Amino acid sequence: MSSIEAEGVPAREGSVRVVLVDDHAIFRSGLKADLDSRISVVGEAGTVEQAIAVIAQTRPDVVLLDVHLPGGLGGGGREVIAGSIALLGTTRFLALSVSDAAEDVVAVIRAGARGYVTKTISGAEITDAVMRVAGGDAVFSPRLAGFVLDAFGTSPADIADDELDRLSARELEVMRLIARGYSYKEVAKELFISIKTVETHVSAVLRKLQLSSRHELTKWAAERRLL
Amino acid sequence: MSTTVLRPPLVRSADRVIAGVCAGLALHLGWPVRFIRIGMVVATLAGGAGLVFYAWLWIMVPTADESAKRNARRPASPIAPAVSGPLAAPSTQWSSTHQRGLPGLTGYPAQSGSSDSSAFAWLDPSGEKVFIDPSWPSGLPADVQASGASQSVSGMVRPTSGDGPAWFRFRRMPYAKEILLGIGLLLAGAILIARLLGVDVPLGTLIPAAAILGGASIAWMQLDETRRAGIVDKAKANQAGGWVRLAAGLALVVAGVLVMVSGSGSWEQTWLALLASVAVLGGVAVVLLPWGLKFWRDLETERAGRVRATERAEIAAHLHDSVLQTLALIQRRAGNEHDVVRLARAQERELRSWLYRDEGRDIGNLSERIKAVAAEVEDAHGQAVEVVNVGDTVMTERHEALVQASREAMLNAARHGGGSVSVYVEASDKEVEVFVKDRGAGFDLHKVPDDRLGVRESIIGRMKRHGGTAVINSGPEGTEVRLGLPAMAAEQGETTS
Repeated sequence: MSSIEAEGVPAREGSVRVVLVDDHAIFRSGLKADLDSRISVVGEAGTVEQAIAVIAQTRPDVVLLDVHLPGGLGGGGREVIAGSIALLGTTRFLALSVSDAAEDVVAVIRAGARGYVTKTISGAEITDAVMRVAGGDAVFSPRLAGFVLDAFGTSPADIADDELDRLSARELEVMRLIARGYSYKEVAKELFISIKTVETHVSAVLRKLQLSSRHELTKWAAERRLL
Repeated sequence: MSTTVLRPPLVRSADRVIAGVCAGLALHLGWPVRFIRIGMVVATLAGGAGLVFYAWLWIMVPTADESAKRNARRPASPIAPAVSGPLAAPSTQWSSTHQRGLPGLTGYPAQSGSSDSSAFAWLDPSGEKVFIDPSWPSGLPADVQASGASQSVSGMVRPTSGDGPAWFRFRRMPYAKEILLGIGLLLAGAILIARLLGVDVPLGTLIPAAAILGGASIAWMQLDETRRAGIVDKAKANQAGGWVRLAAGLALVVAGVLVMVSGSGSWEQTWLALLASVAVLGGVAVVLLPWGLKFWRDLETERAGRVRATERAEIAAHLHDSVLQTLALIQRRAGNEHDVVRLARAQERELRSWLYRDEGRDIGNLSERIKAVAAEVEDAHGQAVEVVNVGDTVMTERHEALVQASREAMLNAARHGGGSVSVYVEASDKEVEVFVKDRGAGFDLHKVPDDRLGVRESIIGRMKRHGGTAVINSGPEGTEVRLGLPAMAAEQGETTS
């Protein structure tokens, strides 16, 4: 699937500039070794303050951001995104975590991250995800898709509903397939649509997840102590 | 002191013009009612005194009916008996007991105790008989007046009898409060008359003193017997030494306030002094506030710290029991990659479920069962089985069949897929779906030998028997098993999503 992911990647020196933000140096070095040649790591940070400073200084294309970070006001990755809000147009954030907790995932997405992957994924997958985020798309892990389906419900939107408050039938199908472990390419093949269309749907879902004030989402989040 | 005539009780008469006050008074005094009425009118013309007196009696003197009712309840009625009862007895009692002090008034007995005088004249409040102790200092009557006034205001004038604490053990005078009230009013009247006559009465001293003592009496009267006894006990006022100390202390306070008030001479300066005192107190509060806040914060911090310490101990205990044990095992088996992966994976799963456990979730629900089965498969084969679930439902026998079919699919995926297995469970009102996907080489269902029962029987057959569906979609990029179990009509509504 690698050939397609390269689409839309800014051709700045032929590689995507990335900042790694994680408080474990061992994990950072391991991750750096895993990323392939299309990605150049231009900075690293271990705390919230360092991260904000390094991001402001290097202005990377993508920030690989750990959700749980020391320093700052205790907000972790969310706080880094909030501190770099001026760069949100050019710098994209991909959240990276060992955490499965819904509150961590949704909180960082609603703060502005373009995707969420778990740290257990392979180097190829993470490179893939970075390239896709750099290209302006969203990256949904199966678990994040599951959270989205849980939060928005699994029945498609009625016309009367607020556009932000429900997923369309197509978006639901895409989310379901991602939750089942399908890659974007497999989703496209399954639904007989192009990968670009899949990416559009996923981006739309991401936007809804970030902007929706839907009361069920709020309720769902409140049950899991979000917001 | 010679009037020992028994009079009819003072009550408001039913034969009334306005409120029956004059008629009642006439009956009580044995005078013609006309005289009383004329006297009232004349007194009213003299600065309204008659009107005030009339109003006061109207308020304080009960009607004949009320009096009867009250007497039925308790023998003594507050004011009326005081002015109408046998007068000799109270006055003799007074002269014999006043040296010990009056009930219900602190500070007073010590001062009056020295004024051993027999020059009493008895007069009831209507102006007939008064007893006056000429040796009393001019400041004293004011407190009596104030306390008397407060009694009449509160209407709680209830002569109490019985034994007080040791020092107070004397026979309680009946109607003592009424008598004090009368004395107070008479003294007030005397002061007013004296002023009218041109005598210089130091009102600037008397009014504050009266206010202080009146306030103290009101406060004292608000206390019930036991609390009064408690205060007396704490101040050791029931012992001679303590009593002197208390009296001296109170006298000093009163004297201090009087000096402050009269020394400054004018109220304006008093207000200034008062303002200064408030300012000083405020300053002290401001100075002490940070200290108080710090103290409070320290307390809060300490409490929060204790809570954290408890949590930490719990976490430490758990990590020791699970993670440290597993790490030790991994070190011992470092040579066996399969074992290491399996151990790490099992530990990760256990830690996750502990960290992110959902307290409200029922253990017996479908998603928990699927996760348990996934964990079992993971342990057996060392392949990661990721379960994502949306919605949940309570388990039934049919759901158990679904779980078993899912288990079989997961086992196949772990065995043949080679890589992580994705499991997606979606429970809605209509049906439950389970998807098990791997990324193995895939297989052709039609080429599976007939004697291999795994796929055919355990997955497809089982689902069909329970009214469900099973679709196996296999290709070179992996295999997906799709299991569907529609909810039965009877089960609809049991889903919890």
